[in-house]
Amino acid sequence: MPNIKLKSSDNEIFEVDVEIAKASVTIKTMLEDLGMDEDDDEAVPLPNVNSTILKKVIQWATYHKDDPPPPEDDENKEKRADDISSWDADFLKVDQGTLFELILAANYLDIKGLLDVTCKTVANMVKGKTPEEIRKTFNIKNDFTPAEEEQVRKENEWCEEK
Amino acid sequence: MWSGLQDISSAALLNVNTTKDQHSTLPHHATTIDKIPDKVLLKIFSYLPHNQIGRMARVCKKWRMIAYDSRLWTHVSLRPEISGLHVTNLETLLALISIRFGTVANSPSLRYIELPMELITHTVLHELAHKCPNLTHMLLDFSTAMQLHDFNDLHSFPTKLRTMCICLSEVIFMEGFMRKIYNFINGLEVLHLVGTYEKAVEEEEEEIYEVINIHKLKSAVPNLRVVNLYGINFVDDSHVEAFSSNCIQLECLALNYCSKFTGSVLKLLLQRCKRLRCLLLPHTSLQSENVMMVEWEKTSLQELDITATELSSECLIDLLKRAPPLRYLSAGQQDGFNDLVLKEYVESGNIKNLIAFDVDRNENISEEMLLQFLRIQGPNLRGLQLSFIPHLTEQFWNSSLPLLKNMKILIMGMPEGCCQKVQSKVHIDSLMDGIANHCPLMERIEARWSSDTLRFSDRSSKAIDAIRIKCPRLRCLTLNDGKYFEMVKSNFERADRMTVVRSITNYTVTLVYLLNFYKDLIFN
Repeated sequence: MPNIKLKSSDNEIFEVDVEIAKASVTIKTMLEDLGMDEDDDEAVPLPNVNSTILKKVIQWATYHKDDPPPPEDDENKEKRADDISSWDADFLKVDQGTLFELILAANYLDIKGLLDVTCKTVANMVKGKTPEEIRKTFNIKNDFTPAEEEQVRKENEWCEEK
Repeated sequence: MWSGLQDISSAALLNVNTTKDQHSTLPHHATTIDKIPDKVLLKIFSYLPHNQIGRMARVCKKWRMIAYDSRLWTHVSLRPEISGLHVTNLETLLALISIRFGTVANSPSLRYIELPMELITHTVLHELAHKCPNLTHMLLDFSTAMQLHDFNDLHSFPTKLRTMCICLSEVIFMEGFMRKIYNFINGLEVLHLVGTYEKAVEEEEEEIYEVINIHKLKSAVPNLRVVNLYGINFVDDSHVEAFSSNCIQLECLALNYCSKFTGSVLKLLLQRCKRLRCLLLPHTSLQSENVMMVEWEKTSLQELDITATELSSECLIDLLKRAPPLRYLSAGQQDGFNDLVLKEYVESGNIKNLIAFDVDRNENISEEMLLQFLRIQGPNLRGLQLSFIPHLTEQFWNSSLPLLKNMKILIMGMPEGCCQKVQSKVHIDSLMDGIANHCPLMERIEARWSSDTLRFSDRSSKAIDAIRIKCPRLRCLTLNDGKYFEMVKSNFERADRMTVVRSITNYTVTLVYLLNFYKDLIFN
């Protein structure tokens, strides 16, 4: 298998199997559209991903290299967040900062499988929490005025009914 | 330029390291959730149930904006007993319709809604009609109703409905509501009317009311393609006649558990509705003489379900030889379906298109005849249901599995208790190996043998490994509770395939996924 080189934002070079790198639609398109040759020695620059995160992304893509392509989002199907495999769950036992950087990287590199599983992880983190608990967990500022807060509380009163 | 990049990235690296080491003592340096683009936040919310999304709206302004995005509210159920939202207050629902379900130009908005009896009022329907132009699927559940709301003031109703499902109550007459909506539902293509089959069985002596006027309804819906009347105790041939007289586009008719239907109108129906391709009549009172009257050879029928109807062997032979080559045939629980019927069917060459075959519980078919059938058609079959046939043993399956190389759905086995005959033990490992080696496309399996009948040992895990690895599309393996079930379940769970192995008490595999109209026939 031919390898290609990827360059992180901090100029670290990673040599990766082309097929693994193509898990990223962004890289795949770059290779195809921009006519980047596979045996070209030049590294593909990824200015939005630092080496720590890129290392993790490559680790993820390597583990999942033989996975069938993730199913297209079916709008009619209820989405579930409880089907994260145990390998992924372990892989994502990281601090919040890293988790969000992985989401940004998956979004930028367009790796659907990784974006799905990281988004599910965040969904599981907010599930069952009160608004105040969520603000605390993610360090979010409450920017509602008291009047607005009362209004939005009223608008969503129904979801507390059992 | 490079140095600039380096600076930023090393700063980022530093952040990652410090947060790791000192655990969020410096949270303002690390990447926080407010860096996540709206599009991704929307995706995160899409994994949450609607009542949770409601809470997210209260966190901050940005989250409120995303939580109110109509893309998150395209499919809404308000029936709490089937995991829908519980909204008791009409005002609340009206506000929801305005704020969440409504549409900004060209953006996706509410397309599917389920409403329980209490919330079906003229104001709600009026709001839905005016604010949700994309609403195409609606389910109205009147099944728990004691009294209908007053619909005198109902003057508008969603007009773009394509699919409508009405769950009927036994005692509430629907006409007061129906006559108000006839003018709005001309575009309807798929209609489900769901009766109260289970209740009816318990209280057989009670009077049966014709709670919905099908003879009037049919005039309003000339464009129906799919009609599904499920377990409605008053439906008989005259109602089917009514649909056939006005719905020339009809492609699929399902009358499951409509026990008054005898088939006397079948001939007329198939003469009028030339496009009818799918006819599902299980658990009806179909009569042989009515079935034999039909000019099957002139129809375009492809899919037929006559499970649990008492047709004679003569009728079955006549039907199967004259009908066009079917792709789906379900004819279980038919004592008349014997060797002669299958032999004639095979010899007529009419089995050539068959991809799904169900002769469940037909004890009058022999092992040899089935094998003969499978030798010819086995490689083309995608679904096969042959359980509750006591003489189909391990040897039968060992010889037939190599023939089933395109099989996707397989139902086999003999549960305990339904017959007194001594059952021979079944070595489940060899069957699992057979499936693993011969059926790479397998998606759903149900093996109904009881735990006591199955022979297995510690070495069985090898066979389970084999099927797990060689049938990568397997999404459902249903077994009887017992030690073997536990073993298979833990094997799949160790491999992170949590939902594959299921217990028969909770789940049954059927061939219906293979119907062309499956998507139109599901509701709820």
